[in-house]
Amino acid sequence: MKTTGTRSLILYLLTGGFLAGLVVFLLSFAMEGGNWAFQPYNKHLAGGGQLSYAGMVLDRNNVVLAKSENGERIYNGDETVRRAMLHTVGDTNGYISTGVQYSYRSELAGYNIFTGLATPTGKTTGNDVKLTLDSNLCKIALQQFNGQKGAAVLYNYKTGEVLCMTSSPNFDPGNVPGDLNTDTSGKYDGIYLNRALSASYTPGSIFKIVTSAAAIENIPDLESRTWTCNGSITVNGNQITCLSKHGSIGFKDGLAKSCNIVFAELAMELGEEKMTAAADTMGFNQSFTLDGIPSSKSVYNVKGAEANELGWSGVGQYTDLTNPYHMMLLMGAIANDGTPVKPYMIDNITTHFGLTTKAGHTEKGAQLVKPETAAKLKEAMRYNVTSEYGDNLFPNMAVCAKTGTAEVGGGLKPNAWMVGFSSDEKTPFAFAVVVENGNSGIRAAGGVASAIMAEAVKIK
Amino acid sequence: MLDNPVLQNILSVALYLVRILVPLLSIYVVCRCFLSLKAGRRREEPVVILQDMVTKEIIPVLYWENSLGRSRSCDIVLPDGTASRDHAVLMRRESGWIVVDTESKAGTRVNGKKIDHSAQILPGDVISMGSTSLMLKRTSEVKNLKQPKRRQRHAASPLGLLFTTMIIQTLLCIEVCFTGEAFDYMPLIPLGALVVMEWGLYLYSMKGLNRVSFELETVAFLLSGIGIMLIAGTGVEKTYMQLGAMLLGIVLFCAMIWFLNDLDRVMKCRLAIAILALILFAVNLVLAEVSHGARNWISIGPVSIQPSEFIKIAFVFVGASTLDRLQTARNLGGFILFGGACLGALFLMRDFGTACIFFVTFLIIAFMRSGSVRTIVLICSAAVFGVFLILKFKPYIAQRFAAWRHVWEYANETGFQQTRVLTYTASGGFFGVGLGNGYLKNVFAANSDLVFGMLSEELGLLLALVVVISIALLVFYARSDVTRSRSTFYSISACAAAGMMLFQTCLNVFGATDVLPLTGVTLPFVSLGGSSMMACWGLLAFIKASDERTYAARRQKAAR
Repeated sequence: MKTTGTRSLILYLLTGGFLAGLVVFLLSFAMEGGNWAFQPYNKHLAGGGQLSYAGMVLDRNNVVLAKSENGERIYNGDETVRRAMLHTVGDTNGYISTGVQYSYRSELAGYNIFTGLATPTGKTTGNDVKLTLDSNLCKIALQQFNGQKGAAVLYNYKTGEVLCMTSSPNFDPGNVPGDLNTDTSGKYDGIYLNRALSASYTPGSIFKIVTSAAAIENIPDLESRTWTCNGSITVNGNQITCLSKHGSIGFKDGLAKSCNIVFAELAMELGEEKMTAAADTMGFNQSFTLDGIPSSKSVYNVKGAEANELGWSGVGQYTDLTNPYHMMLLMGAIANDGTPVKPYMIDNITTHFGLTTKAGHTEKGAQLVKPETAAKLKEAMRYNVTSEYGDNLFPNMAVCAKTGTAEVGGGLKPNAWMVGFSSDEKTPFAFAVVVENGNSGIRAAGGVASAIMAEAVKIK
Repeated sequence: MLDNPVLQNILSVALYLVRILVPLLSIYVVCRCFLSLKAGRRREEPVVILQDMVTKEIIPVLYWENSLGRSRSCDIVLPDGTASRDHAVLMRRESGWIVVDTESKAGTRVNGKKIDHSAQILPGDVISMGSTSLMLKRTSEVKNLKQPKRRQRHAASPLGLLFTTMIIQTLLCIEVCFTGEAFDYMPLIPLGALVVMEWGLYLYSMKGLNRVSFELETVAFLLSGIGIMLIAGTGVEKTYMQLGAMLLGIVLFCAMIWFLNDLDRVMKCRLAIAILALILFAVNLVLAEVSHGARNWISIGPVSIQPSEFIKIAFVFVGASTLDRLQTARNLGGFILFGGACLGALFLMRDFGTACIFFVTFLIIAFMRSGSVRTIVLICSAAVFGVFLILKFKPYIAQRFAAWRHVWEYANETGFQQTRVLTYTASGGFFGVGLGNGYLKNVFAANSDLVFGMLSEELGLLLALVVVISIALLVFYARSDVTRSRSTFYSISACAAAGMMLFQTCLNVFGATDVLPLTGVTLPFVSLGGSSMMACWGLLAFIKASDERTYAARRQKAAR
């Protein structure tokens, strides 16, 4: 019987298989459970819509942006607020994947792996999500766009709270157009895209900040040098053009007047390697996240580029791409001695019986700029405003900024950019604004930036 | 009364607390049952003593069946060149000690007389094998025998555990009663039936037969009760058939334990059982109609039965064997032939899940009988080759499993059942949404093939895990009892039965949750299905019979 006893150990093979299977199942249950539960056919979510019994989305002043009543999802009473907050809050059907209503659908519906969708009272009631955004500020930002496409983001670079994020075009989630998903004319193209996070725009002149950083770190006599701008230069038989003839010009004025010749020559002098290194450090070719929601990747790729292409890349053309969120983060970094505070937009998530399950907090991100370089950039960007843009655009704030006019080709007007921050301790805001086909950076984007900065100051 | 919203909230919270309490109580019952099973086992101490007539060396006899021979794998090794490798078997039976010569070269002698196959021996008799002579002695005759320290182990009261089980079932019943708009009295019927069966079997076995243990039955009642209350949540009238099957299962359980008592009778009947099983398969193949892709049902009047469930029991009967027969009939030929016939019949029925269960059980039995890794490898490669051939010539069979690990891509086609299981399992969380409040019950085969999902959704993942783990614990128990049972027949059959149930659990749980392909087998004791319920009680009888105490109590009574 001894041998029979030994042979019975074969049963442990079976038991091992059973335990392995159980571990596989439980691990996927822990990691994927939320996705399993959020299926359109799940009758526990009732009424077909997955947010029928979900919690509220509130702004920083407890203004209700979205809530569920009698199995229906109801949005804020003001249409402009609904539209301005659409890409942050998300739509009822979850098509806007970067929206809170999609990314935090488990939390909103009250799902957690311990109780699933069940609650002791038998009624499915979700958690409330409070945002750091100010819906009024977003509304003002959207009004400034006046129907033009683009995006604006603004955050407090000391605390990390995102105060404003809006994207145009958009639609009214409380009154969804009937032909939204059936239209073939293209009038709703890209309407689900949060342009602040997920778009990829040519940066144009705002990229000169990156070229400047590379130059500050690699060219010792930068401040004393001069360049001559006759409106264009010819490299390898190809022209690099500037918007005007600046004549003899130094580095600081080159940045303030946004002279293409200065920065194209700098980029060509620095070369492929140093330019790529500076762009990579400053967050190009990588993605950032906002409360776990990823941004698109900014691109700087000059591998194997001709000298003239390298020149164009230095003024933010060629294949360069970026998004407003990344630019705002970079502004936050320069304002904060090179290391930004990570932006967040979820202030807290609270269960219906008052328990806070997630709370946003101030946290430092990875360094994007060296402290000395950041100080020099800050000084140069401040000079931009005092000498060129005018402090009347941002009264009482000591703003450092850079505008951009990015050529998009195809016979379309260039995209207008403005990025910057207030260096005043009392108004620690960093922003990025892009207006598609806005033609002039200072006029189109500057207006939006001016308006949101003025309004942000009023937020307590 | 239920219209008042405040009362309704209080009621909901109370029912939620019940759902937290049920798995906790179940964990208590399952843990106590298995701890008590372990604690109540016979200690590994000598049953009887053999003394070498020449060296006067004392050899303790530890088991009910002991192999004697020159081979190192023997229970009692004879350091004697003239003895055969596996010379004889010393067995304890109801009638006393028996020595069986297992085709040794030189033969075996008792008190100098050469025996013809087997002979009964008494204390004082001398067994001679080759040049070794051993005298059988009672343990009390040897004074300085090392006595292991007797520890007083505290075993749980079977009465208390069964009572707790009844409370769990009552709590579940209350959940069902409150499912609808108003309080429903109907679920009290299945509860009543369960209680009567539990205490009926308890009184019969503890008072009528004077058995000392009731743990296995308690676990089975716990699982069956959970299954029946789950079915009651979808409609009380659906439980009547299941309750009837459970009663028949309990009768089968008792009958099998009685039948298994006499091993000579069992060994004589094995051929008849094998033939009967094959006839049943043949009848199945001739009479059955295809339902849901498999031809495994036959209808007799108003009831339909699944013969393959009963053949599982026959399969274990045919596979297991006593030690003396294992020593003499070494080849597995007959059993391989029988197993092959069963698998062939199941493939013709397109019941691949059951075929897998038979195959794994076959491997367990084959290995426990032969101990030969080579044989197992050969059998497995033959099986792989067979599957390869089947897939090559009948590629549509592979399509049935195409959704495996890709169920979300086929969420409304072949992955329909699995995706619903996962969604509703996640919706239920650890404590469920309440009996009768689930939505998985509307999916086809929810209370049989997908019962794990339904259990998780309505009563919570925690209880579902307790259920499957208690089935896994049966394997641990069967294995730890191997050398303590009264014969290798009991050890092999108990391991095979427990392994069969665990593997079936794996196929059910992991099939429904997309860890393995979905094959459509039942979860032992829990799934809706009369044949399956009866077969599980039948298989449990093998495990019960391997526990020495099952028959020991009866003997004590006879002696009194």
